[in-house]
Amino acid sequence: MQSYPSEHREIVSALVDGRFVIYPNPTFVSLKLQEEEYREFFMQSYGYELVIDSEIAYLTSTEGTEKRTRDFVLFLALLCRELDYSGKNFRDAIEAGTFDMAETEQMLKQSSKWEVLEKTSVADFNEFISIWHRKNVLFRAEGQFRFTKAVKIFFDFAVNVANAKLKEVQAA
Amino acid sequence: MSNLNLSGKEILRFLNTHYEFVHSAFAAGKPHFMIDSDKFMRLLHDYNARNETKISLYRLTSEVKFCRQLSTGEYKLNRNYIPFLEYLFNDFVLNLPETLKNRYQAVFNHFNSLKDETSAYRIILLTQEIINVIEDFLSDIEGQTQRLLRDTEALKVNVGNHSAFSTRIQRANFWIDEYIIPLNAILDKDRADSIVNMIIRLQQYSNEKRLLSDNYELKLEFEKLYACAVNAKSELDRTLSKLTRELLPLLERIKSDSIILNGFYHFVENIDDPKAYIAELPHIVRRTKSSVTSKSFAAEAEFYIDQFSYLTPEILFSESEENIEWLPDAGYFKEQLLKEEGVKDFYKWCLTSLEEQTDTITLSKFFTLTNMLLDEDLVVEYKDEKRQEIKLADATLLMPKIKVYAKLSK
Repeated sequence: MQSYPSEHREIVSALVDGRFVIYPNPTFVSLKLQEEEYREFFMQSYGYELVIDSEIAYLTSTEGTEKRTRDFVLFLALLCRELDYSGKNFRDAIEAGTFDMAETEQMLKQSSKWEVLEKTSVADFNEFISIWHRKNVLFRAEGQFRFTKAVKIFFDFAVNVANAKLKEVQAA
Repeated sequence: MSNLNLSGKEILRFLNTHYEFVHSAFAAGKPHFMIDSDKFMRLLHDYNARNETKISLYRLTSEVKFCRQLSTGEYKLNRNYIPFLEYLFNDFVLNLPETLKNRYQAVFNHFNSLKDETSAYRIILLTQEIINVIEDFLSDIEGQTQRLLRDTEALKVNVGNHSAFSTRIQRANFWIDEYIIPLNAILDKDRADSIVNMIIRLQQYSNEKRLLSDNYELKLEFEKLYACAVNAKSELDRTLSKLTRELLPLLERIKSDSIILNGFYHFVENIDDPKAYIAELPHIVRRTKSSVTSKSFAAEAEFYIDQFSYLTPEILFSESEENIEWLPDAGYFKEQLLKEEGVKDFYKWCLTSLEEQTDTITLSKFFTLTNMLLDEDLVVEYKDEKRQEIKLADATLLMPKIKVYAKLSK
């Protein structure tokens, strides 16, 4: 790498900490400007792959990954399900809405799928929200939280599952 | 409605009094407006059981002629009632875009004939016909669009289970492919054969004629045709904007939302079996406390610390014994040294002698040997300032060349 941007330290510590760096944060802009150099840097220094698109950046690795990702996807899936059942437009709610923590926890607890969530890190709801707030996937403030743009990678995951399932059905 | 035994007022009164029955028969008959004999009789029976004013089958089929029984047994609703009822209940049956296209074809043919027609009487007939067909076309397309919008709204909600997600995706795809895209084509201004294009031509033609025609009666007719074309143009524009700016994005949205919900559904169903997720979960890196160490260092450190976590104090004791490094027997090497009757390069000699005995020569092993120098029965001579490198497993030393031999008295 020829020169480090002034946010270098912030970029590295955020990403290595498993956090998402999201536009319009200045760190994202610096990272995006030296995208190729940073790709190389993270691969050589840590063996991590840098994933960056027009709005979000994060690191992936085949080893030492976040085990609680599964719990988060489960939480998101059931939240979407409940929102959809109650006739709301779940994507608008997730992408633009704000959630009251107590209400959301209550809603999930009333769901028939709570027994699945109960066995995961979602059970300690307060701590769960904090964990994902630190990762910058959620933003938490005063008993409320909202999703950041990072949520789209989990939607992408769902689309991949659905498409793979569709292919499976078509092949059968 | 020809051959009616009742006056229009009486028919309207019938529809008013038995509005509920008419609605249920209309709903049961959609979309062909044919009802099985059994089903029809049950509807009638149920209605009569609930209401004080009864309906007789005779009144239905012969007096108000609401429906008639086909030779195969089914009851068919009277075609004359259907458009009115569709309008009343704001419930239009979707026609295939081909049907609309046929209507448009009729306008097109009449328009072509009109251009060549010379007889004033025929011209009046043709303009009236064109106006009628265009009005039909407009009311059709308006009804269809409303119907699509309402069904799409309904599609958005009322999902109770997983199969409904697939149904939603299928239905959204079907509507887009079978209705919206063809409708768009009919209404697309950029296509030469589209209805909008023809309306524009009709508008220009009637505008010219209404101004230039020398026959007063024809002028009036063309005036009406012109008004009809202007109105049609603005209504079609509105419909098109509903289709492309509201309905299409809404359907696309329903489709993509349903895909996400469908994916999540499969994920939740297979939550305990990661292999069955099919797609890979995002591999987000885990939070690491220190950002200056590499991943492999962290793993080694973890491994190192792990080995202590389950050792008892006794084992720790034996562990410390094991940790004592093997050290060479200084006495043995001194004997060797004495046998040599003097060594010219002592440090080098130490290294070579150690190499004969062990693979890894550490500082402590090396110094155990070199400590011989302190023995009183050895003489050390040191002249050369130059130093040479001695490479050990854990250090590289720069040592002078020294000569060592036994004291003479010995």
